[in-house]
Amino acid sequence: MQGFHEGAGMLISNFVLPNDLHVHWSMMIVLYPYITGLVDGAFIIAALYYLFDVKSFKPVARFSLLFALAFLSCATIPLLLHLGRPERNFNMLLTPNPSSAMAGFGYIYAISMGVLLLIVLFVYRPDLVRRGRDAKGLMSFFYRLLTFDSDDLSESALRLDGKIIRFLVGLGIPVAAVLHGYVGFIFGGVKANPTWSTPLMPVIFLFSACVSGIAAIVVAYIFIRKATKQSVDHNCITTCIKTLTGFFILAFCFEMLEVFSHSYLRSGYHHMVEGLLNGPLQNSFWLWQVKICSVIPLILLGVMAFVPLKEKFYTTVAALVSAILLLQVFIMRWNVVIGGQLMSKSARGYTTFHPEWFDKEGIIAVIGVMVIPFIILFILSRIFPFWNNRDEKGVI
Amino acid sequence: MISKHALRIIIVFSSIAIMAGAGLVIKLFLIPDSFGVYGAYRADAIEEEANRAIRHGTNKSCLSCHPYEASIHLKGLHKTISCEFCHGTFADHIDNGKKIASLPVKKGDDITTLCLRCHNTEIKARSSVVIKTVAMPDHLRKQKVKETHSCNQCHHVHAPLKHIREAERISGLKISGKGANLTGANYTLFSPDGNENIILTPPTIPYSKEVYK
Ligand code: HEC
Ligand code: HEC
Ligand code: HEC
Ligand code: HEC
Repeated sequence: MQGFHEGAGMLISNFVLPNDLHVHWSMMIVLYPYITGLVDGAFIIAALYYLFDVKSFKPVARFSLLFALAFLSCATIPLLLHLGRPERNFNMLLTPNPSSAMAGFGYIYAISMGVLLLIVLFVYRPDLVRRGRDAKGLMSFFYRLLTFDSDDLSESALRLDGKIIRFLVGLGIPVAAVLHGYVGFIFGGVKANPTWSTPLMPVIFLFSACVSGIAAIVVAYIFIRKATKQSVDHNCITTCIKTLTGFFILAFCFEMLEVFSHSYLRSGYHHMVEGLLNGPLQNSFWLWQVKICSVIPLILLGVMAFVPLKEKFYTTVAALVSAILLLQVFIMRWNVVIGGQLMSKSARGYTTFHPEWFDKEGIIAVIGVMVIPFIILFILSRIFPFWNNRDEKGVI
Repeated sequence: MISKHALRIIIVFSSIAIMAGAGLVIKLFLIPDSFGVYGAYRADAIEEEANRAIRHGTNKSCLSCHPYEASIHLKGLHKTISCEFCHGTFADHIDNGKKIASLPVKKGDDITTLCLRCHNTEIKARSSVVIKTVAMPDHLRKQKVKETHSCNQCHHVHAPLKHIREAERISGLKISGKGANLTGANYTLFSPDGNENIILTPPTIPYSKEVYK
């Protein structure tokens, strides 16, 4: 494609253009916001139950916490794979500074991990105490550690736990919002890239995070319950889907708003953004992200909201919609992160991205990184039971 | 009276606070001394970087010892392309004005790979005005040769149009699209909206038999 600098009447010769052929932020940087987004969304469900007392989330509240924990513990893997030199990661903790959002990551991540871990331990304390009573030797010591060496399950002790959980969850909401919003903020702060540089970026990232997290919980809940032949709580699914609908409407509106504000304002580099969305990203943006993965779910969610459906059918559609939305958020991350880099920084044209299979940031690695959280989740389920089969006495 | 449970929780939270505090103290000791003198980076790094041995020598550094290559290179369309891009760094070749090691000289397929790093049509962001690109193997098919030809069988690596211009001169045929006589050559540029063609006549380069343009 001919760039717009060239008509200027001067002949540039013997000049090798900056090589914009390499997409530096590749699939691992797509994965990172996807994973923290899942954490965020799952945490929102837990928060709605533990802090805002939305009772119908009860069946999934504990599971959401574990899901968030499993994914949060893997959130740094894509970053470490991308950057290389993992042994240097602690340097970031030494020198955070207000002029670099990225330099704050160490603290933001450490705090969110600490808060989430504490919430899980407090929520599960009654279960852990009961399990610890039957355990022997090393395991019994392990359970004592996890329960802060307190086997007190009296009314007053549980009331205190409840208060602490509320406090921690309250603290967790801004922390989660910062952890994820900050990724969007970093993209939004790249002044040199016209598709990223907008204050809407953190907002878009946050809402789509909630969408992906809630959708993941719906899919995982339905899948695990069905696979283990247990009942699915219809009331819980309906509430999840309603919340999902709300967040998705917001997320989709903001995603479109970004495009419309670009094309309405016709700012300096608008022609590049327009060419990008209608060129290299035509399929992945308009067809996949917008038409297939946004408009179809919106219609389905509308049907679910207004047409009375049979419970079984509703559950199936809920799982389907959530799966599509999981894909939507992934494609959206792809289009933002990789799509945003497919244009020349000198506005001279576009390039293409060729994912590799065997690379530390390749497709196999991506699959590996996405499998690890599920392995962790499985291991966690051996210690922290997902579902609350007996009544959770005392804990709100 | 504070319960055993509450006491445990106080212990947990206060030990977290103590660990965090200890971490902040340890951090103070671990921060490099010159950090923050000028800004949020290690001031010593400036000096360290400045003292780094220079490894690239620019084209000038090669010319005196390689007058033959220089005489060709300087006349061709590759005249501003860095010798070191294609051959490797000065420091790997010369130390204290003496040759210390050989530089790799590419052969066969490696040459093709090298040329395509800059001249591949796949590189979409390239403007054809600044650097011409070719699609492989179409380019070889068009010349009606085997696809196993490497680029330097027709293009002199140091002055890519040298052989082609010589062939034109000897045969009197016009092989290239640009025309053998440069003074009349036109470049077609496209205006941003793509509708209007602006015709430019390159004003400078005087035509002489020595310039392999
Ligand atoms: C576009 C890449 C390119 C550039 C730029 C380039 N060379 Fe070469 N050079 C080659 C290749 C490829 C060969 C070997 C193949 C050939 O000679 O056809 C070569 C061969 C040589 C040789 C001969 C080696 C031998 O033993 O046959 C010398 C010496 C040399 N180059 C020096 C230079 C110098 C000095 C410069 C800068 C003034 C330079 N080259 C710039 C690609 C390049
Ligand atoms: C101090 C003189 C000197 C300088 C400066 C020098 N060379 Fe050489 N170079 C030599 C000598 C001597 C040889 C080996 C004799 C030969 O084959 O001509 C050589 C050989 C080469 C060869 C052939 C392969 C080999 O190593 O035998 C290449 C390619 C080459 N030089 C490239 C370069 C480039 C590129 C530069 C600039 C970065 C450069 N030279 C600077 C002296 C020099
Ligand atoms: C570092 C990037 C680079 C490499 C590597 C390179 N070239 Fe070039 N080439 C250029 C540039 C820049 C020009 C000059 C464009 C101009 O000034 O019009 C050029 C010009 C040319 C031209 C003339 C095109 C025209 O304008 O008609 C040919 C032919 C060519 N190169 C062939 C080759 C071959 C063959 C090789 C491999 C030995 C090669 N190039 C390697 C950058 C490169
Ligand atoms: C069979 C001979 C032959 C071979 C082999 C060959 N070329 Fe060419 N090439 C030509 C001729 C002839 C031209 C026309 C020169 C012109 O238009 O000025 C040309 C033109 C070019 C141009 C300028 C294209 C343009 O749009 O004006 C480039 C760039 C180029 N070649 C690169 C390469 C590269 C890279 C290779 C190796 C992959 C290669 N060539 C191999 C014969 C050859």
